[in-house]
Amino acid sequence: MASSNLPRRIIKETQRLLSEPAPGISASPSEDNMRYFNVMILGPTQSPYEGGVFKLELFLPEEYPMAAPKVRFLTKIYHPNIDKLGRICLDILKDKWSPALQIRTVLLSIQALLSAPNPDDPLSENIAKHWKTSEAEAVETAKEWTRLYASGA
Amino acid sequence: MRNNKIAGQQLSIVRSIVGAEYTDMDIVRALHLANNDVTAAINIIFDTPKLKLIERASVGTQRNSPVSHRSSSFDAGTGGGVVMASSKPTAAEDKNRSLGSEANVADSVSNSRDCFAEDVGAHSSSTASDWWFVGCGEMAGLSTSKGRSMNPGDQVLFNFPLKTGATTPSPGKGFGRGRQAAATCSEIVRFYTKETGEIGRIPNEWARCLLPLVRDKKVRIDGHCKYAPNKLSIMDTILLSVRVFINSSMFRKHNQVSLKDATNSTDESVFHPLPTLFRLLGLSPFKKAEFTPGDLYSKKRPFNEKENASLQATLLHIKSNRPSVNDDETDNEDSISETDLDKIVGVGSCSELEEMDPPCSLQCELRPYQKQALHWMIQLERGRPMDEAATTLHPCWEAYHLADERELVIYLNVFSGEATIEFPSTLQMARGGILADAMGLGKTIMTIALLLVHSGTGGSSSSQLMDQPLSESGEVNDTVQNSSNVSKKASKFSGFEKLRKQRNTLTSGGSLIICPMTLLGQWKAEIETHVQPGSLSLYVHYGQSRLKDAKTLVQSDVVITTYGIVASEFSIENAEDNGGLFSIRWFRVVLDEAHTIKSSKSQISMAVSALVADRRWCLTGTPIQNNLEDIYSLLRFLRIEPWGHWAWWNKLVQKPFEEGDERGLKLVQSILKPIMLRRTKHSMDQDGKPIIVLPPAEVRIIYCELTEAEKDFYEALFKRSKVKFDQFIEQGRVLHNYASILELLLRLRQCCDHPFLVMSRGDTQEYSDLNKLAKRFLKGSHNAPEGEAKVAPSRAYIQEVVEELRKGEQGECPICLEAFEDAVLTPCAHCLCRECLLASWRNSNSGLCPVCRKTISRQDLLTAPRESRFQMDIEKNWVESCKVTALLHELENLRSSSSKSIVFSQWTAFLDLLQIPFTRNNISFVRLDGTLNQQQREKVLKRFSEDSNILVLLMSLKAGGVGINLTAASNAFVMDPWWNPAVEEQAVMRIHRIGQTKNVAIKRFIVKGTVEERMEAVQARKQRMISGALTDQEVRTARIEELKMLFT
Repeated sequence: MASSNLPRRIIKETQRLLSEPAPGISASPSEDNMRYFNVMILGPTQSPYEGGVFKLELFLPEEYPMAAPKVRFLTKIYHPNIDKLGRICLDILKDKWSPALQIRTVLLSIQALLSAPNPDDPLSENIAKHWKTSEAEAVETAKEWTRLYASGA
Repeated sequence: MRNNKIAGQQLSIVRSIVGAEYTDMDIVRALHLANNDVTAAINIIFDTPKLKLIERASVGTQRNSPVSHRSSSFDAGTGGGVVMASSKPTAAEDKNRSLGSEANVADSVSNSRDCFAEDVGAHSSSTASDWWFVGCGEMAGLSTSKGRSMNPGDQVLFNFPLKTGATTPSPGKGFGRGRQAAATCSEIVRFYTKETGEIGRIPNEWARCLLPLVRDKKVRIDGHCKYAPNKLSIMDTILLSVRVFINSSMFRKHNQVSLKDATNSTDESVFHPLPTLFRLLGLSPFKKAEFTPGDLYSKKRPFNEKENASLQATLLHIKSNRPSVNDDETDNEDSISETDLDKIVGVGSCSELEEMDPPCSLQCELRPYQKQALHWMIQLERGRPMDEAATTLHPCWEAYHLADERELVIYLNVFSGEATIEFPSTLQMARGGILADAMGLGKTIMTIALLLVHSGTGGSSSSQLMDQPLSESGEVNDTVQNSSNVSKKASKFSGFEKLRKQRNTLTSGGSLIICPMTLLGQWKAEIETHVQPGSLSLYVHYGQSRLKDAKTLVQSDVVITTYGIVASEFSIENAEDNGGLFSIRWFRVVLDEAHTIKSSKSQISMAVSALVADRRWCLTGTPIQNNLEDIYSLLRFLRIEPWGHWAWWNKLVQKPFEEGDERGLKLVQSILKPIMLRRTKHSMDQDGKPIIVLPPAEVRIIYCELTEAEKDFYEALFKRSKVKFDQFIEQGRVLHNYASILELLLRLRQCCDHPFLVMSRGDTQEYSDLNKLAKRFLKGSHNAPEGEAKVAPSRAYIQEVVEELRKGEQGECPICLEAFEDAVLTPCAHCLCRECLLASWRNSNSGLCPVCRKTISRQDLLTAPRESRFQMDIEKNWVESCKVTALLHELENLRSSSSKSIVFSQWTAFLDLLQIPFTRNNISFVRLDGTLNQQQREKVLKRFSEDSNILVLLMSLKAGGVGINLTAASNAFVMDPWWNPAVEEQAVMRIHRIGQTKNVAIKRFIVKGTVEERMEAVQARKQRMISGALTDQEVRTARIEELKMLFT
């Protein structure tokens, strides 16, 4: 019923996400709100998050696509650009948003962020500091967290 | 002698000290250098750090043929193998030892990495039959050793460098120059004996031809010393007698090809090792080639014929002068004129030719010159009588008896160096030629007559003649024998029944006609109209649903297809298995508009050349379009040897021609003379009358005057363009900006047709001040518009982006993900809906490009072209331009006479515009342009010919280029001048040709005082320029002058 006044762009994107999902990413709209998506991202290989399955939520605000979608990690993750509430520090979700971006591109960017943490632009100071002082140790922690919280079970 | 022999004992002493890492050869060389002083040799080895260690891995491929032990020493008649470095002690070595020679020496030679030795010792009876004894020869070797000696009768072994130009690490300074030389100079072939090591080198000419052959195991060589001075010193001559064997395996499947490859000769090379080797061996062919490279060189031809010198200049001018502009305009612009073409290829004096009556199944009268063509074509197809042809050696090939006792015969192509044991008969020669009659003489109908007279299936050559009681038919019948008979004779002659390849895996088919897509319908129609029903079955092989089964294709007497189809079926691998055109051996292949294949490297040219056919024809009114090279591709298709080999063509025709050597052109003329028939409308028959009489054609130029409003608009546009052009002149970058200049000129030329053509495409900024003038022009009309003339982006730019979009997915706005609505282009070449883009901006005047984040402002946006290419409502705002008015006036005058007209323009947009006044004035018309597919074209042409209500055909100049017969019309209006009058002429010839019964009126529109008028002047000037020889620099200057003329 919500879909009746859903912009065609959102319907189209949803259809494409379902019919041709991006590798390592799944996003499906909620039954009761077509603007709310349940998202799963697989930890990229050769990253500390490898083997992990990360749950996220994604919400398309009223202004979408003129405004960025709101995305948050639900699975606990040890990452300098993601805080303990799961909020993500990613420019395209903020000032660098462009209406030419889509749900798919946003999720791919997040997946890329997992592969390339950026402690210089941190959201979580502590983790970023950890990352900068002792990267190997931080990576170990990230792996540990992945095992603990994102092992799919 | 005493010091030079390296004893096995010394060798083993050294080895025991230096260890197994060093090759025997290294040790031998060290010993040699040290004058057999063991201690010194050891020092040399240890002092040479870079000395290569033994490569335990085998060098090259190992040849493990079973080796039978033979006691007889040098049994030359038997085969041998190459002993490789790491081979275990073989029978050969055993034998060598048993012969008391230093086997290790031989071994050591083969052990060195950059060489391999021919070891005559490794004989094997089982491989003997693979090697055919070619013959003996003598060569004068050159000693490279000092103090050694050898005796007559001594066996010599040869040491061939393995790789040309292989850079082997320097073996170190301590190590004899012989080796160093071998490393740097890889063309040197050395010989040695087992006893003494290296003796000398063989002459270069031998080395040059032996090397590639031996390297590829095509040839093997045995040698003995025939005479040597008692004690050798450097540069002494040593006479060697050699015996050469050829590996029979090279004559098996695809061998000829590999042999050719083995020569390392690129296509450019005319050096072929095998023929050279044969010559060095003193073999003389028992059957000589009738036609040899020597003939070509020796035929001196007179220089300095003035007329031809200017022709030379014409073609050179064309060649050197092709600016890198990507539009077709320049292509056509540079095409040569018909007159020049006639001079180059010559016009047949057809009066000498006999005539042949067509069979009665051809339901139309042939003119005398067409009957002559029929006779000529039949003659060429017949060639020599089959019987004779099959047993006559192809003139480019020579036959050699080998010295082998099996009485073998080898055939060598003196031009390509190919060798074969199959008899190359004249059957492989070209049967066919180039029918190059000028346009409008009826090449199609002559070809149809040929199809009727002589048809059959490929390969079988059991041609059936139509039931014509012709004097010819009997003879022609004689020419055909059944193929088994022929092949029997051929094989008997060559004596190689066993190895004879069975080529007849292809299905035999009838005649294949390949034409441009536009002519498909015409061929079909002409065959259907002119051929008695039932006498020729026809199949059009075209479209997605075409049948690819060879069995279907061969069921029809005639298959018609397009160049595109041939190229696409060619690119499919294993076309033979897939059926289709390439799985058939055609009785005959005819290329219509054969200049289509002029670029020899194009897919289409290669594709048609790959077709298997017994007879080949090229139909073209323009055998040379831009360059002499165009002919090469035709000759290759026709199998006119040796000109199908680029190397020969290039060496004897192309290069001399380009260098201004008259002989190049003369040679082309003599090549073409027997295989080409060309007549023009001006050709005369025996009685000196023109072979064809057409109703007169009147060409008239209609000069138009711009109206005041038009003039203002034109002047403004002209000033603007001139400023730009002058900038280019100032910067001296005219030729670099050729494309931009052509674009400027294009606008001006279009403006002469109708200002709307320019208004719809001026870019916003540059032409903004033209808006006022545009408005003024529009106001001149009755229904003066309220609205402003919307401005649109540069069309070229849009096209580029639109083209890009087309290549990718279907265009979709990246914001709404829908098809574009009111699409705009950003300066960064991204395409979005205008509304989506503006909505994404906070500020209404500027923002970021959503795709690339570049800052852009609203006025940078370009409006993409819509369905209608005009940005204004041209119907509502319709205004006649002076040219349109003049045309309408002409058409009104013709209306009562109901004589039909064709209106040509280069711009389909102008055709769009013309439709408005035509509709308003009740002039019923049809339209033909490049957007129509074949069926639509046929429909349009049929309607125009048959519907008496339709008086006008709107046609784009390019669409009307080839083959179309438009004799229903007797008036042609050429709305805009083309750079090259020849193109105009060609289009107009569509109406002035056989079948035209009425007087023809051709009217060309020129607007006074504009670029059009100056184009006329340039055209005239071009004619003058073509006839004078100009250097590159002069041509450049001339070209700039030309452009300057246009901007005055």
